[in-house]
Order: sequence, then structure tokens, then C-alpha cells
Amino acid sequence: MKKTALIIIAVLGILLLRAAEDLPSWGDPQSPASVHLSNYYLEESYEETSVPNIVTAVLADYRSYDTLFETVVIFCAGITVLLILRRTPRRWPKVISPRPNRPGADIILQTAARLLVPMMQLFALYVVAHGHHSPGGGFQGGVILGASLILLALSYDIEMALHRFKEKFVLLFSAGGVLLYAAIGLVCLYLGRNFLAYGAWADLLGISELAAHSHGMLGVEIGVAITVLCIMFSLYIDLASGGDLDEGL
Amino acid sequence: MSLEQHAIIIILAPLLGALVISLIGGLHRRVAYLTLVAALAVSFSSTIATLSQVAARAAEGPLHYFLGDWQPPYGIELVIDPLNALVLTMVAGVSLLVAIYSKETVRRESPDRLHHYYTLFALLVAGLLGITATGDIFNLYVLTEIAALASYALLASGRGFAYYATFKYIIMGTIGACFYLLGVGYLYIKTGTLNMAEMQAFMTRPALLHSESIRVAFILIMVGLWIKMAFFPLHGWLPNAYTRTSTTTSCLVAPLMTKVSVYVMIRVMFGVFTLPYAYHVMGWNTAVVWLASLAIVAGSIGALAQTNLKRMLTYIIVAEVGYMVGGAWLGNAAGLTGAIYHIISDGLMTACLFMAVGAITFKTGEINLEAMRGVFRRMPVTAAIFVVGGLAMIGIPPTCGFFSKWYLLSGGLAAGHYGFVVALLFSSLVNAVLFFRLFEIGYYPLFDAQSEAGQHDKVVVAEAPLSMLVPMLITAAMILVVGLYTSRIVSGLIEYALPAGLKL
Repeated sequence: MKKTALIIIAVLGILLLRAAEDLPSWGDPQSPASVHLSNYYLEESYEETSVPNIVTAVLADYRSYDTLFETVVIFCAGITVLLILRRTPRRWPKVISPRPNRPGADIILQTAARLLVPMMQLFALYVVAHGHHSPGGGFQGGVILGASLILLALSYDIEMALHRFKEKFVLLFSAGGVLLYAAIGLVCLYLGRNFLAYGAWADLLGISELAAHSHGMLGVEIGVAITVLCIMFSLYIDLASGGDLDEGL
Repeated sequence: MSLEQHAIIIILAPLLGALVISLIGGLHRRVAYLTLVAALAVSFSSTIATLSQVAARAAEGPLHYFLGDWQPPYGIELVIDPLNALVLTMVAGVSLLVAIYSKETVRRESPDRLHHYYTLFALLVAGLLGITATGDIFNLYVLTEIAALASYALLASGRGFAYYATFKYIIMGTIGACFYLLGVGYLYIKTGTLNMAEMQAFMTRPALLHSESIRVAFILIMVGLWIKMAFFPLHGWLPNAYTRTSTTTSCLVAPLMTKVSVYVMIRVMFGVFTLPYAYHVMGWNTAVVWLASLAIVAGSIGALAQTNLKRMLTYIIVAEVGYMVGGAWLGNAAGLTGAIYHIISDGLMTACLFMAVGAITFKTGEINLEAMRGVFRRMPVTAAIFVVGGLAMIGIPPTCGFFSKWYLLSGGLAAGHYGFVVALLFSSLVNAVLFFRLFEIGYYPLFDAQSEAGQHDKVVVAEAPLSMLVPMLITAAMILVVGLYTSRIVSGLIEYALPAGLKL
């Protein structure tokens, strides 16, 4: 078995080395990837979407359909964990052993977390809201938001975090975020344009088509952030407590 | 809503269905079930509308749907041509039938978290439909991830060793997906585009035709897809994963996942690369067809050795994948027609057999050959449906199984590849042995009942519930209908799906 694995790895290595031979060199301005689509995005994206962050323009507008499904991947992962871990009654003893003799609340940790969490969440909102103008966006902002809740759960306990953000709402919002994204696209479809053609929002909001693109991107970024936030938190509480939502790590 | 929006509705309906089930499915079992069936029904009716549109303009070329109104290659497009319109219809139809069928089985198998199960069910279907409809090679990867993730979760929802079997599948499936992604990366570096049609147009450039990295990309994508479709010798994960899981999951995953992977292989061979590239530059044809022949023989022998009904069917899937890969690589029109036609017919046959076995297990609680004992008396309708599925698997006219074998055999003969022809005939014989043995077991009542009184006891008819019978009946009927309309399907659709340079 080990020998077979070695042979397979060797063959794969040779294959990849041979492929590396005629790849364009690192950072080559004449490589096909740099001269074909990139130029168009660099030159036209601000004209067409009024969003200075080109990465966001490609991600949330030109290839918005991909991003919708990337958000669905995250949603799907969350539901997968729920389906597998949350069974009643349990069919086997818990794998994660509870922490031995919890020495009571740690005041330093908890105070630090209390100070940090609002800052993190404020910064996360900025990252989401400003994502199409500066580096950032829905995924990044959502992750920071999720991390702030995980920090709460870590420094206090899962029950305290769940008291602040009920599990019912976690599940509701994780689907709601994707739904917000899809709904922004569906409105365009309803108004007679293609799915995710943000320009359709122009008349509805009374703004120009260009501004509609920018607003549409902001809308979908918010949807992404909500889903990422909820799924991160949901993954943490389920994995850390083996699906029981009790004390946790 | 205008006619061209049907292309996106096909994918959006199950996606929105999944979200709605996740939001309100927890209220009541029936809400989740009805939402799923409604979403898949909308999706299926859209595939029918799209199929008729495509069939009406088959000679003019495919339908394009630009997402976000961005012209490709800058944005993503859906491309519906006769090939994927057929596959879309099959996928949406089979998943709708399985959804209806699942009413009782899911209730018994995963009563808690039922709405999560149905959410993932709908996401899996959305992923598979998205894979089939897209015209963008990276978008295909994203949707593969959704389909794969959802299928991992659904497969793990079985009992006992399902987790372990699924874990193996996760490892294999992830390796397959990585290979595919790596190949796409190379293609992007060398062509600078992700749109399939544009990539194909670039492929004729001599610099790319003989580029080493393009060759490696082709190899990586093919091997990745072969892992995903469980092509011999990369099939090790499939029998366990599909056997251990719940009835509903195996009815949904078994007919669809491998078939969609085969479709992607055909799409990549002739829609991203070109016909001369796949057949001549690589120079693999004979080797791959031999491998396919081995797959058929190995799958058939494997099936012969099983006493578990579901496990037997999973080995038949391994053999059937060999049919399709072999047909696609024979290098002639008849072989490729057979492979494409077999995607449809095998989807129907596998769904029919898995649903029938599921119904028998549902009533008897057994999954071994013994479960078949006396089934013709106890469950006459289910038994009849099982017979239709079995005869189609063997390849008896007028079922669709006969016609796909016919095309594959004539393709094999035309290519002069007698090993493949012998493997096909061998597999038909093995299937005949397998299924007639089951029919025989099913035809005779329980022996205990005979021996006690010296005569047959009165056998109580205990049929499966109507929600299971109706979808099974429709599937069995479709096996016959597709078989009878073969010439229309081939001349009206598949002929236009063949790449230029291959003509019947």
C-alpha cells in the first residue's frame, strides 16, 4: 500500500514538473491570463460598475453567480454538520470529553473579550460596508463577526453566547443571508432582466444603472456576511460541544 | 416571465426550495415534503420547456443565458444544447420522482432533522442541475462542490458503517475535485479564459495543441472525473458508500451522481477540448476503452458475488460507468451516441431498481436476496416494476437498456474493439443470471409456509404505499417510453449533440 502510494505520488510529481515547463513565468505581463480578461476588468470595471475595488467587481458582479453558489457551499456545510451531529437520541457516547474541573470564570479573559467584541463587530461592519471600495467584503466581514461570537463562547461559555444569539435565529439567518442574495437577483429577473443583472434595480431605487450595480453588490455582500457569520458560529457551537450545545471546549 | 428565463429557473427552483425548507420546514414534516416536491416540479417543468425549445432549434445551436447580463467571457453563461437539455430533464425528472417516493422512507429513516435532510436533498439537485447547465468551467467546479458536500451529508445519514464508508468517499471525492481544479488552473493559465466555448476556440492554436501543460491539464481533469464517477480501478469507494446509506439517499445519489460526472467528461472532451485533441493528440483511446472493458467485467463479477441486493446494484453501477466511458472513447458516432443515450437510460434503470429494492426493504425490513422471497405474491406491482428494471438492465427490447447496448455494441464493432464488445455481452449475460435468479427467488413463496401445511398458505398482499408506487410506476413506464421513442431521441437530439466531425 505504501509503495503504491509512493509510485502514485512520484508519477504525479513528474506530471506536474513536466507541466511546469511551459507555463508562463511568474508575473509575466504577456501571459494569456494577463492579456485577455484582466485587461478588460482593469479598464472597464469602474466604467461599468462604479466600484473601485476590481476584485469585488469581478466577484460580486461579473461572476456574481459563482459567488452566490460559494455562499451556498458555506450554507451547505453548516447544514451538513447539523444533520450529522445533531441526532436525538445520541447513538454513541460523546467523543469530546468535558473540560475537567472548570476553575470558574476567568476575569481577565472575560474582561478582554468584553472590550474586544464590540470593536471587532464594528470593524466587521466597516469591512462589509466598505468592501466594494477598499479591501474587504462579505466573506471577510462575516468571518470577523463570526469570530467575535466565537470569542464570546470561548471566554465565557457556549450557553452565554447562545443566550445572546439564539440558535433558532442562527439557523434562520444562515438561510436568510443566501435568500437575500438570491432575492436581489430574483428581483432583476422579475423586472424583466436576467438573473443578477443589478441594473434592473435602477428604476426601483430611482438611481442610475451604475449606482444600482454598486448598491446591488453591497446588498449581496451583506447577504454573504450574514450567512458566513451564522454558519461560522453554528459550526463552532456544534463541533465544540459534539452537537449538544452545552459547555463546550 | 419570458421563455428564455426557464434556463435559470431550472437551477433556482431547487435552490430556493432548499432555503425555504431550511426556514420553515421545521414547522411540520409535511411542509418540508411539499416544498421539496413543489420546487422540483417547477424545476422539472422548466427543463421540459427548455428541452422543447432546444429540440425546436436543434440545428441552429445552443441556447445561451447570460447571468447578470454580462457577455461571456466577462461573465458566466449557461449554455443549453441538446446534450445537456437531455441530461437536465433526466436529472430533474428522476429527482422529482425520488422526492415523491421519499415521503415514507425519510420519515422512517431520519425522523428528526427531517427538514435538514430535505434541505440537502434540494441543494444536491440544484448542484447537479447547475453542473449540467453551466457553460463556465470554473462555475462547474463550484457547483460540483455543492453537489459533493450535499451528497456526503446525505450518504452519511445512513446507519452503522455509513460514516466510515462516507469518510472514504469524502477523501476520494476531494482528491477528484482537487485534480479537476488543478486542471482548470492550468487551462486558465494557458488560455486566460474560463468560458468553455472560448477555451475550445483557443484550443486549436498550435501552441496550445502541443503544450505539455495542456496535456497535463487534460489528464488531471479526466482522472479527477474518473474518481468522481467511480471508473475502474478508482471505484473502491462507491459500493460501500452507496450500500450503507439510507434508501432515499441511495435512490437519489445512485442514478444521478455518476451519470452527471460522465456528462461532464463528455462535455470537457468535446466542449472544452476538441474532438481531434481528445481522440488523436492524447492517443489514449485504446487504453481507455480497455480499461472500460475491465470495468464492465470487474463490475459484473463483483455484482455476481453479492448477497445484498443494494450492494449488487452498486456493482452494476460500476459496470455501467464502464459502458459509458468506453462508448465515449470508442471514437465513433455510434459509440458516443450510445454513451449519451446510456446516461439517460441508465439513470432511469438505476432509479427504477433502487426504488423497487427500497420498497421491498421498506416492507420486509430485509436487504438480502431473501427479501425477494415470494415478492411476486406479496407485492405484485413492485415486483413487476423490478422486472421491468431488471429486463432493461439485461438489455431486452423494447426497454431503453436494449437500445443503448445496441449503439454501444455497433460502436465497438465499427471501431474494431472486440474486447469491449465481448465485455458488453459478458455483462449482459451476467445481468441475465443475476436478475433471473432474483425473479426465480421472487416467484416462489416462502418455503416455511409450504412445508408446514403441505400447501401454500394464503399470502397476504402487502404493497408499498401509494407515494412509493406511483413514482416507481412512472419510472418503469419511462424506461419503456424512452425505449420506444429511441429513434426520435437520437435523430432529434443526440445527433445534434455529437461534435462536428462525428456523424451517424
